Amino acid sequence: MFNWLKKKKGKKDNRDTQKELLKNKQQEQSFQGLFELANHSKDFVVYHHTGRTKCVLSYYKTLSGSKFLNDSILPPLKKHTLFTLEDIKEKVPVENAYITNDLKKIKENITQGFVIIRLNEKDEEVLLIPATKNEGRSISIPEVEYSVVGPKEAFVENLDQNMNLIRKRLPIPELTMREVSVGNLTKTRIAVVYVDGIANNENVNTVLQRLDDIQYDQIIDSSFITQMISDNSNSPFPQSLDTERPDRVVGTLVEGKIGIVVDGSPHALTVPTTITEFFSSSDDYFLPWHLATAFRLIRLFAIFFSVLSTPLYVAILTYHHEMIPQELLATISSSRADIPFPPILEVIILELTIELLREAGARLPSKIGQTIGIVGGIVIGTAAVEAGLTSNVLLITVALAALASFTTPVYQIGNTVRLVRFPFIVGAQMWGLIGVSMCMGIFLGHLMNLQSIGRPFFAPLYPLRFHDLRDAFIRLPFNQQKKRPMQMRPVHSARFNPELVKGKRDIDE
Amino acid sequence: MNKHSSSIEGLSIPENLLITPTYVFFLIHAMQVGVGILGFETYIAKYAGFDAWISILLGGLGIHVLLWMIYHILQDSKGDIVSVHKNIFGKYLGGFFSLMFSLYFLLLTLTVLRSYIEVIEVWIFPELQLWLFTFVFVLIVYYFVKSGFRVVTGLCLISVILALPILLLKFFPILEGDVMNLYPTVDHSVGEILRGTQKSVLSFLGFELLLVFYPFIKNPHASKSWAHFAVFFTVSIYLITAIVSFVYFSEGQLQYVIWGTITLWKIVEFPFIERFEYIGIAMWFYVVLPNIALALWAASRIPKRVLKIKQKYVLALFSIILIVVCCMFTDRQAIDKLNSVTSKIGLYVLLYIPVLFVLSKIMVKVRNRDEA
Repeated sequence: MFNWLKKKKGKKDNRDTQKELLKNKQQEQSFQGLFELANHSKDFVVYHHTGRTKCVLSYYKTLSGSKFLNDSILPPLKKHTLFTLEDIKEKVPVENAYITNDLKKIKENITQGFVIIRLNEKDEEVLLIPATKNEGRSISIPEVEYSVVGPKEAFVENLDQNMNLIRKRLPIPELTMREVSVGNLTKTRIAVVYVDGIANNENVNTVLQRLDDIQYDQIIDSSFITQMISDNSNSPFPQSLDTERPDRVVGTLVEGKIGIVVDGSPHALTVPTTITEFFSSSDDYFLPWHLATAFRLIRLFAIFFSVLSTPLYVAILTYHHEMIPQELLATISSSRADIPFPPILEVIILELTIELLREAGARLPSKIGQTIGIVGGIVIGTAAVEAGLTSNVLLITVALAALASFTTPVYQIGNTVRLVRFPFIVGAQMWGLIGVSMCMGIFLGHLMNLQSIGRPFFAPLYPLRFHDLRDAFIRLPFNQQKKRPMQMRPVHSARFNPELVKGKRDIDE
Repeated sequence: MNKHSSSIEGLSIPENLLITPTYVFFLIHAMQVGVGILGFETYIAKYAGFDAWISILLGGLGIHVLLWMIYHILQDSKGDIVSVHKNIFGKYLGGFFSLMFSLYFLLLTLTVLRSYIEVIEVWIFPELQLWLFTFVFVLIVYYFVKSGFRVVTGLCLISVILALPILLLKFFPILEGDVMNLYPTVDHSVGEILRGTQKSVLSFLGFELLLVFYPFIKNPHASKSWAHFAVFFTVSIYLITAIVSFVYFSEGQLQYVIWGTITLWKIVEFPFIERFEYIGIAMWFYVVLPNIALALWAASRIPKRVLKIKQKYVLALFSIILIVVCCMFTDRQAIDKLNSVTSKIGLYVLLYIPVLFVLSKIMVKVRNRDEA
């Protein structure tokens, strides 16, 4: 998506782009210019402190906490008579305060909520005291990936808080966090998290490299990163898994995957991923393995049903009536007797209606959304059938298909499933079942071509990895999962030492 | 992909493009099972009658021997068919023979494609827009071949997995059939059975593509057993298919059935669906697709190796040829003719393998003596 941007800009680096974006280059280059620029904002405070210590404090009052300022910075200034910045630094009980005259650093820190102390307004040497106030919502329960059992924490927008959630669950020093800042204007902090000694270095380097290569002015959410670092940005399939559950991220880190946490986004990304991972939910690990397997298979069936049911309806009713057994034919033909449209039109009308309802439901506040769902589902559906616009059978099929597409545990792939069925419908209208086959063939080829951070996306199906199949369409018990998935090429693949596991006891022992 | 095309010799294939020996099973099996299996019963029963199952077994045995020879030829030269030809016949004559192979694979592609489209025309869409369908079909094949050998291999894998459940449908005709049809056993002469063998060998064509993709196998020696297993598996499937057809049809009836297997799908019936041949033919798309893709890949790879031109250009050219020629065959007689011509050439290719085997063994002997 952003490839063309890269090409156009060519070798121009960050700073050049910024020059074009911000015309105020001149002002920024001088110390006074910087303060002049900041002074344009109403919330930038320049406070001349008088009394025992004479100095000038400047800060953004919307970024720095005034309570912190009153409690920690002002008292020592009032109490002591200080003449140098060094002395102030000594007396102010705040960690990581430092003195500098580096303009770049000052500029960077002032917009992060540091308080600048100068002895004189003309001075170029300043003391920087971190006083950032972090306001954000508190940790709440996961809403997108809700699970009945299991942990009920979800990420929030604050990167440090999210890292805290991850680190709490993985208390080992090997858990490594590398940080990069992306976005020429937003300067978004992005943390790359992995377990050193398990995660493959090649994967880590690929991720860091791709993050470094990003050229864009803003990174608002982790989904920006998903699209920008994906191997094929024209694909409808997301190539990194996004999740709002810290437990899920930790689970994948332990497998050797790499987590990408973006500041300001309550969704973390994990790479490399595979197509099967999108259909596994964290619930699968909280249930006994046979139940989990059964539910996974039901979900897999749901996906196929959701994608294929309406195309098959079109194909069979348009071209292959012979396939319907006589008893069933009576039901279908009686329900379709009054319909003036061919199957394809009928299907497209109904599918679009459902998509409309879904889109409306997603945009509206939750209370109204429910009402819309009921109005749409019951009133419009029944009315459409009674008016003779669509058949009962199709209404059931489309509603079931929509329902089935909601079973996807990951929201992103749900969107893909929603849209992928339309090419299939077109294929079905052109050449019936053969058209559906052809469409599926194209998608298979596409999936086999796809890669996630250079690792095959269609694994463990192709390349066929029998070991990884233990946790793909089915989930075998934990004691069968002796090794970490091969997909990530983990440095250490053994999950536990099988020899330490007690052998089976004989009868009456 | 880039690295791949930049190595002009073509034999130094980057590690990440190699396939593990297991996939040789899927490659060979997927290539051997094609449109032929939909209607081969009639052809082999023409001469050997219902003793044709012996012909299939004999044919299978022959294929095993030929496969063994191919492995010997390739191991001696440590390359593909192009390097084998170059070693034996020299640069120009060898190159010529290699290009003949390329054309043969293209012909194979054409035959499979046209036969499958004919099946669709006869069974599903009598008024199919031939050119449009061919165009879309070849476009899909082009997409796969362009993605490279690894993806084509993956397609073979998927194809085998998808096609296997269809085998379960054989259960329905067995229920309806009459085992007495098979008796009396062995009432045909050796000559008749051998003529049937000749026909059945042609159904097993496709394994010779090993001559082209051999350098792509990571540990060629380990792939031998997989390749033989694939041939064994194919022969078993053909055997089961033939016997089920013989049990269901009487000998006289079978002569008038063109597509035995498809006819058998017709009787499959579930409470919610019947006339299974529609699904069968649609599913057969996944069997035909790797067939065509792999053959077209091989056909376009040989000119790249011989003439040192980019494979994508050859592929584009061959795809266009495929579309144009495919649309020129419009009636049943012409397609039948195409099939018999391809079979004949296929037979020559099979006969050529032992010749190549002997020549390459002599070459090795001569070279060893020269060195000694």
